[in-house]
Amino acid sequence: MMDGTGIALLGFLALFVLLLVRVPVGLAMLIVGAAGIALIRPGAAVPVLAGEIFAVASRYPLTILPLFMLMGSLAVVSGMSQDLYRAAHSWLGRVRGSLASASIVACAGFSALSGSSLAAALTMGRVSLPEMRRYRYDDSLATGAIAAGGTLGILIPPSAGLVIYGIITEESIGRLFMAGVIPGILLTLLFVLAVSIVVRRDPGKAPHAEEPVAWRDRLRATGRAGWIVGIVIVTIGGIYAGVFSAVEAAGVGALLTLIAACVRRALNRETVTEVVGSTLKASGTAFLVLFGAFVFKVFLGLTGVAFVASEWVAEQGFSGVQVVLLVLAMFIVLGTFLDGFAMLVLAVPLVQPILESLGVDMIWFGVMVVITLEMGLISPPVGLNIFVVKGVAPDVPVHRMFRGIVPFWVAMLVALVLIAMLPGLAMFLPNAMYG
Amino acid sequence: MTVFENRRDHFARAEAYCRRLGTAFVAVGGIALAVLLAVTVAEVFWRYVMNDSLHWIEDLSTMSLTVVVAGAIAYGAGEGSHVCVNLIARFWGRPVTRITDAVARLLGVGVTAIAAYALFAHGSCGLACGAVTGSVSIPHMPFYYALGASLATYGLLLATQLLLGLAAWNAEDPNEPAE
Repeated sequence: MMDGTGIALLGFLALFVLLLVRVPVGLAMLIVGAAGIALIRPGAAVPVLAGEIFAVASRYPLTILPLFMLMGSLAVVSGMSQDLYRAAHSWLGRVRGSLASASIVACAGFSALSGSSLAAALTMGRVSLPEMRRYRYDDSLATGAIAAGGTLGILIPPSAGLVIYGIITEESIGRLFMAGVIPGILLTLLFVLAVSIVVRRDPGKAPHAEEPVAWRDRLRATGRAGWIVGIVIVTIGGIYAGVFSAVEAAGVGALLTLIAACVRRALNRETVTEVVGSTLKASGTAFLVLFGAFVFKVFLGLTGVAFVASEWVAEQGFSGVQVVLLVLAMFIVLGTFLDGFAMLVLAVPLVQPILESLGVDMIWFGVMVVITLEMGLISPPVGLNIFVVKGVAPDVPVHRMFRGIVPFWVAMLVALVLIAMLPGLAMFLPNAMYG
Repeated sequence: MTVFENRRDHFARAEAYCRRLGTAFVAVGGIALAVLLAVTVAEVFWRYVMNDSLHWIEDLSTMSLTVVVAGAIAYGAGEGSHVCVNLIARFWGRPVTRITDAVARLLGVGVTAIAAYALFAHGSCGLACGAVTGSVSIPHMPFYYALGASLATYGLLLATQLLLGLAAWNAEDPNEPAE
């Protein structure tokens, strides 16, 4: 008879085979989780399936997900993304590569509304790519900037990645959101720096420096983006000031975005259908993965593999930092072929007991994990954001896009190293707020 | 595979019905989403404007969430939004993926059927098992059923896609996962 560790390893192997044959990620974890539970405790599989699915679907902190997704969908149809891009461009207009930098800054701003990397890349791609092409920007720089900028969606709060990480590790979502703020800003600045280095090395990649924009026009453009700025200040500021919980901030943010969309006369039968449909689609994607993750987590718990792994790590005498670096390296490799959410829900339950036993702060670790997910979003061969941008620029070959993301990938690695070396970058705000 | 190929139109029609069934969940999910938004905002309003708290809000929020999720899973299935890792198509063509897709869909039908059965069986216990919300005792039963119906719809869609895939054995799969 196979022991728990053997069954767990067999489970992981089965899971990778199922993922390879294109079983949807959530279903693959449900299949392996349920089959594994049935193998260990034959009578428990059906009750666990029902219990875990219902528990996930009725978990109060998860109300954040559809509400923030609703907020993002409303922001898309209301045309706020264009205003944000114009405002960013008006301030960065004289710098070489300004359109690429403006795309990144606008992606960062949009991320503070939507929480979805794909939505940020798609929306900003539609807005900024035609502009960059008009000024004959190099395709690899233009598409790389949008794909990389879009990844900020899962780091800058509200972040779906941080919500799911918080649910799996049972860490405070409010703390995680606060921990994502400074690294999000840092990464935005590193991306802008990457654009500037690329253009300095090869000025032909961003040939036209645009005309300077008058102060009055800058202020007008910023004013038009005021809705977004206001909503972000109310929601994120509200969490920071302790006025709202993260769930309430999601509700208030969605309501304000709905009001903004109404004021801008962006809502009609067609756009409302689009908003509800895209919110449900995005929610469905996340929740099916979560169903699978929680059933799979029960299976892993029954095998006791995490306990065995913790003991093994303790016997080897590894330090917390060494294990964190090893796990992050593993995440970067896994991210090249595995969906980000799948990686999160698969690997985190396994490594959490090991890291906690070594005294690693799970909030700090969560921020770094999310950055590795971002790296996966633009890494070949799966790099989802690249394929989203490919949808907007079908004539640009994928290999050119992947070449264009290299400087941004390096910027992410730099951010990761900085946060690993200076945990305060992630922990300052949550510690200042929650103590 | 001729037996399936001859019935391709029937399977396509059945698949279209299942998609429509998934689309019907949008209305339910959309209403639940509106309720979820309203109760979340009401909680803040009551606390800061009325200086009071609504103790039943969390119960209503969580039960609304189950309906949103039920709508999202079924609708997402029809829209192809349940993510899969699409590596195999880069290395092998249709001769391999037609077999692996059939296996994947068959397994999907199996697990969604078991999950739907589990939700209906567990949910039907209802009040006798104390399956109610904590504050205002909203029975869990209808919400278990909503989730069960959603997963059953997903399973039905996968079953029709399995048959349609077999019917298109020597052609392109009409439900090829998007890149």
